[in-house]
Amino acid sequence: MISSLSPKERVMNALNGLPVDRTPAVNPTNIATVELMDFAEAPFPQACQDPELAAKLAATGHTQLGFDSISPYFSIIQESSALGCDMQWEEKDNWPTVRMSNPIWKSSSDIKVPKNFLSHRDIKAITGSIKILKQEFGDSVAILGKTMGPWTLAYHVFGVENFLLGTIDNPEETTKCLEKLKEISVLFGEAQIDAGADALTFPDHATGDLVSGQYYKRFLQEIHEEMVEALPIPLILHICGQTVDRMPYISETGMSAFHFDSKNDPFESMKAVNGKIKLVGNINNPETLYAKDPTTVKEEVFKCLDAGVQMIGPECAVPLSTKIQNLMAIPEAIIEWTQKKHS
Amino acid sequence: MPITNQTLENELDNVANSQEKAHIRKLWDHADSLMQEISVNLIQGNNTQVDELTKQALENGFDANTILDQGLIAGMAIVGIKFRDNLIFVPEVLVAARAMKAGMVHIEPILSASGIEPIGKVIMGTVKGDLHDIGKNLCIMMLRGAGFTVIDLGVDTSSEEFIEAVEEHNAEILGMSALLTTTMPNMGKTISSFEEIEMRDLVKIMVGGAPLSQEFADEMGADGFGKDAISCVDLAKQFVEYEN
Repeated sequence: MISSLSPKERVMNALNGLPVDRTPAVNPTNIATVELMDFAEAPFPQACQDPELAAKLAATGHTQLGFDSISPYFSIIQESSALGCDMQWEEKDNWPTVRMSNPIWKSSSDIKVPKNFLSHRDIKAITGSIKILKQEFGDSVAILGKTMGPWTLAYHVFGVENFLLGTIDNPEETTKCLEKLKEISVLFGEAQIDAGADALTFPDHATGDLVSGQYYKRFLQEIHEEMVEALPIPLILHICGQTVDRMPYISETGMSAFHFDSKNDPFESMKAVNGKIKLVGNINNPETLYAKDPTTVKEEVFKCLDAGVQMIGPECAVPLSTKIQNLMAIPEAIIEWTQKKHS
Repeated sequence: MPITNQTLENELDNVANSQEKAHIRKLWDHADSLMQEISVNLIQGNNTQVDELTKQALENGFDANTILDQGLIAGMAIVGIKFRDNLIFVPEVLVAARAMKAGMVHIEPILSASGIEPIGKVIMGTVKGDLHDIGKNLCIMMLRGAGFTVIDLGVDTSSEEFIEAVEEHNAEILGMSALLTTTMPNMGKTISSFEEIEMRDLVKIMVGGAPLSQEFADEMGADGFGKDAISCVDLAKQFVEYEN
């Protein structure tokens, strides 16, 4: 066992495959809750629009919950809002969402990045908050940014059904769309790197609940490999739902880690990636973190640790009314497991 | 007439469950080769061909119900099973549903004019605060493919809108969908609203959506939980059979 590391060193070592003093508790996706919004006086949707509020809310993931990383991008809509998508901002107890039934574009020729994209309020909310967090926590805690992949952006700008139908009707056009949209992923990713992000979550929801593993290989694997070259800090790919069938492809992309869902058994997932990519996850949200107690949360954490999962966190953005005791149980369980292992 | 279309025979090989296989084979055992061709084209998502073949079948004197049951619904049954068993995914289901719709354009007006009752009437919607509709839309396609009339309330649907629709359409079944963990509780609130105005016994309520579970559905007081579009259709059929 190596000597005690700072949370930032712990996360970066885990992402880079270096030794750690203990497995880090990491949040590639949101862990802010209504309780934390009240505590920080930074509610949704304002915390998704204002850099200072975003930073205040994000910091609670470390200061109140004990996670080793801080992530100020709470949702999946910041880029889409800046692109001009029709938004429903909701209140603090619900996620802001894109009205995908009212898509803004129809084909690849419509894809144009607004000139003021990087200075849009909802983009600056993220880059600005990363700068603030970097000043406050930069030496000690890992700051995770997030840039949406082209597949997810396509759902937002074309509508889910239109986009998926297009993959069969005109796959060449789908590829064109993805090629153009990936430039937005790079643009926003680079801006977050410039702002000080230590690593980036890269959500791209080609989930097994919607499309096959072959789809991932055909449409996305190569693009994801390019992202590793284009964005020179550790990338954490996030795809919800069943993904074991595509993990062998994902593990070839060169991304540092894959954030996986509880629909995938941790032992089976570790086998599927075969040591070629680190795994982050996969504590169940609706049934465990939202509905159960810290003891049950800890049991799931222990299972992941026993399987060898390299970073532990919720499977996806947590329900906003999750009890913070259940979230605090994640780092607590890691410490308990580590102490027991070394006692 | 036995199955004469080799592609269809191959499609049946995708059905692992012997009871399901026997049931679908029976539909085609009595079907004309034209009905079998409609099924094949629906499974493959060829909407133009389904459109043309349906018109041709009507011109050849086949009645609308036969085309619906032995051509469109039988084809959709294979699509549903392949989807449930992860042999195909949402894009393939979407093109099949589009082909189904191309056939139904010709069939529906005839069925409506003839006064034939659907096997059941279902109100469907995504709950308040939730704008995700792909899962709900798949359920609707499958329900329509199974012969139900479905009234789609869209997304972001309030309890009041669900209640009004059930009343207005005198529907036996209500289906609610949610993708977000933040909006799941709105299903329970809607069920409570039905209880408060003493309408709960008038409608069977089924729920579904990626983050849901049977346990959560039971806690909310739903009558059923559908983990996918096929389960949704099975539940709706059970409700209708129970009623009858």
